[in-house]
Amino acid sequence: MQDPSTLALTRPKPPKALISLVPMIDVLLILLVFFMVTSTYLNLDMIPAVQRADDPAIADPQLTETAGAPMMIRIGSDGIPTVRGEGLAVPELETLFLSRLQDTPALRVLILPSGAADMQSLVSVMDAATRSGVTNLRVVRLEVAE
Amino acid sequence: MKLSRPAKRQPPETIVALIDVVFFMLVFFMLIGRMDATAPFDVSPPTAQTGADMPSGGTTISLSALGELAIDGAPVADDALNEVMANRLRDTSETLVRINAHRETELRHVLPLISRIEALGAEEVVLVVTPETTPPVQ
Repeated sequence: MQDPSTLALTRPKPPKALISLVPMIDVLLILLVFFMVTSTYLNLDMIPAVQRADDPAIADPQLTETAGAPMMIRIGSDGIPTVRGEGLAVPELETLFLSRLQDTPALRVLILPSGAADMQSLVSVMDAATRSGVTNLRVVRLEVAE
Repeated sequence: MKLSRPAKRQPPETIVALIDVVFFMLVFFMLIGRMDATAPFDVSPPTAQTGADMPSGGTTISLSALGELAIDGAPVADDALNEVMANRLRDTSETLVRINAHRETELRHVLPLISRIEALGAEEVVLVVTPETTPPVQ
């Protein structure tokens, strides 16, 4: 039984704790570090090399007729593009494309690269052709007869 | 009797702002980052100004400057490439193949590879390039 001369003070119940945010922060930080470490930031593009729509069998015959003789570009082992034996820098090649396209809008371009030429030289020529507006471009290669 | 009010306790710094920042960074890295398998050798693709956006999906074949091959980051011998790629093209509906060749790779490695991939039934083969904003210097 309680003594009437003493005063009983009861401490109020502490409010119920909210759901702790600490585990969520832990998970978030782990995810953040994971994505920071595994991500790569390579900004890459692509150039189409093969598409089934390119099949010569389904090419428009009328377009082929109006395209006339194809323009042949060789790429030497040094990577320099050559047209009719004359080595050209990429800006000069672009100018040549533009002048040929004025006469023949459906110009066909064939690129015959040396096997010793590097990838950049081929892409530079393809890039110059695309910038100039060439839409009919093919890369051909010579195979050693068996 | 003078009763002094106890000094107010400084409220603890709120962690809501921290959570906001962490969450924004998390979403940023999830959206921006790519988790493609990287090649086991150095590959710096050639630069081009007219490249299109890279399509997703498909298989990536990496080609080093010396002609070493890797499929989706795993090294593969030249002899085994046909078999591995034929199985992949047969087992999956993905018929896109990306050729990620180093810019100094000789074309005697690249062009026959494209022909081989096409012969195996790939519907679309693309060359990986690095976008370039300034005119190329030759």
